[in-house]
Amino acid sequence: MAAIEVEGLCRTYRSRTGIVRRRRAEVHALRGITFEVAEGELFGLLGPNGAGKTTTIKILTTLLLPSSGSARVLGFDPARDPGSVRQRIGHVFGGDRGLYDRLSALDNLRYFGDLYRVPVREKRQRIDELLELVGLRGRERERVETYSRGMRQRLHIARGLLHDPDVLFLDEPTIGLDPVGARELRETIAQLREQGKTVLLTTHYMYEADELCQRIAVINGGEIVASGTPAELKARVLDRTVIEIETFGVEEQTMARLRAVDGVVTVGSETREQALVLLVQSRVGVELVPTLLRELDGTHVGKVVTREPTLEDAYVELVQA
Amino acid sequence: MIRAFLSGMKVHVVMFSRNPFDLSGVVLWPVLYASIAYYLLDSKDNPRLLLAASLGAAVMLMWSLVVIGSSNALENQRWLGTLELLVAAPVPFATVIAPITVASGFVGAYALLATLAWGTLLFHVPLVIEQPLAFAAAIPACILAIGMLGLVMASTFVLYRAAFSLGISLQYPVWIASGLLVPLSVLPSFVGKVGWFLGPYWGFRGIREAALGGTPWPDIGVSVGISLAYLVVGSVCLRAFVHVARRTGSLKLT
Repeated sequence: MAAIEVEGLCRTYRSRTGIVRRRRAEVHALRGITFEVAEGELFGLLGPNGAGKTTTIKILTTLLLPSSGSARVLGFDPARDPGSVRQRIGHVFGGDRGLYDRLSALDNLRYFGDLYRVPVREKRQRIDELLELVGLRGRERERVETYSRGMRQRLHIARGLLHDPDVLFLDEPTIGLDPVGARELRETIAQLREQGKTVLLTTHYMYEADELCQRIAVINGGEIVASGTPAELKARVLDRTVIEIETFGVEEQTMARLRAVDGVVTVGSETREQALVLLVQSRVGVELVPTLLRELDGTHVGKVVTREPTLEDAYVELVQA
Repeated sequence: MIRAFLSGMKVHVVMFSRNPFDLSGVVLWPVLYASIAYYLLDSKDNPRLLLAASLGAAVMLMWSLVVIGSSNALENQRWLGTLELLVAAPVPFATVIAPITVASGFVGAYALLATLAWGTLLFHVPLVIEQPLAFAAAIPACILAIGMLGLVMASTFVLYRAAFSLGISLQYPVWIASGLLVPLSVLPSFVGKVGWFLGPYWGFRGIREAALGGTPWPDIGVSVGISLAYLVVGSVCLRAFVHVARRTGSLKLT
């Protein structure tokens, strides 16, 4: 039996605007997504902001009801039987909210331990183990308001694991963390995978999904656009070469001209410090650099690098498609 | 469930005690309410009336602290991002919310005693309690009644972002309908009938009867009975409103 089963899940948010002329607005956050997560698997749900990742997690963690479709967590329906699901899952979301700032880490963990029915005899030992796991041993009596973002995030993980859940939902846990804090947190998540926990991780960082996840589903606009192992997703773009061209601003007409060049598959861009880097995917074996530079005539161009595609390139292609 | 309840109470009292703004209010308000009771009625020559007015003012403050404290605490859960985590906890949601209102009730009980103490110290209100045992029983009964009415109202706070504003607007109706602000005899008769359904009305009657001499025990009994009814109604409302919040997706609106 799969730990998590999702079939044709839809969620529409309805709101009303205006005072005199009331207008109804609808946002389709999920449009019939289907996937499964096996027991002990670390599964990644990858997508840009507003893709539907958090909505999916909220439905699976019983905080939101689906508009249609079905979901099962360890065989229980989160919509109809939330109590059975809640006792068996842990839920950790990103950002620095979700803790009592004026209390110490220890008081936070004790309180949530009681809410999650951790037996009194086990609670103390469990808290000690988790403080060790997340590297907060020695700082547990300090108020949470004095913690850095990384420390808060690790405390979140400890809170989510207090009752030793079978399934853990991690909703963008490394968001806003500095590189060192994010790396430490990824190490903690990797340890959970080694312990055999089932983990559903949402992120929009490709390298994070590549490093941690056994399988990935890419979600965009409320639909799953691709799924598979990181290697399978990368294979989608293995017949490509990526040309990175450093510029300092490019007009839209120039971008359109680049897209029209024979052999170019996609053209994207990303900002890196002061520069705008064009990411041109082309077919392997086609030498396009001179043609592209000709099309960029009149544009200030810096470094040009040709490289093999990464998971990020596969993701960008999927999301932009 | 009992452990979650007691733990929740501890957390919310500690949270409250670590907010300097809340603390200063709790220190200053009893003086203010004791002054209002004394100067508004101008009843220096009638010690019984002065004591009754002081008791009314003290219970008014207690209710204010509960309704404002619990609505503020719930609004804070949204700002802190903990409301979703509390809803997602496996214990019944009423076990999570009730400690917030009862913890506010304990702060309110302190405020009640402080108001009476300030009244005695500053304005020489004669604090002569006719039936001390009944008085000692009436105070927790009144805390329970106010806490449980707070629970019923807190269920609506789960649905709305502006819980604090809603809490403020609920102060006066309960003051009036419970006979705390002015005697019910001077108000239209239907107001008194509304009061019958309010636990704080019976709780206050129990306190007053115990202090001034009378038959407080029936009032205390009714107050406790209504509190238990509130607990049932509050639990049902909380379940229903959490379901609505899950349907509309309004739990995380800050």
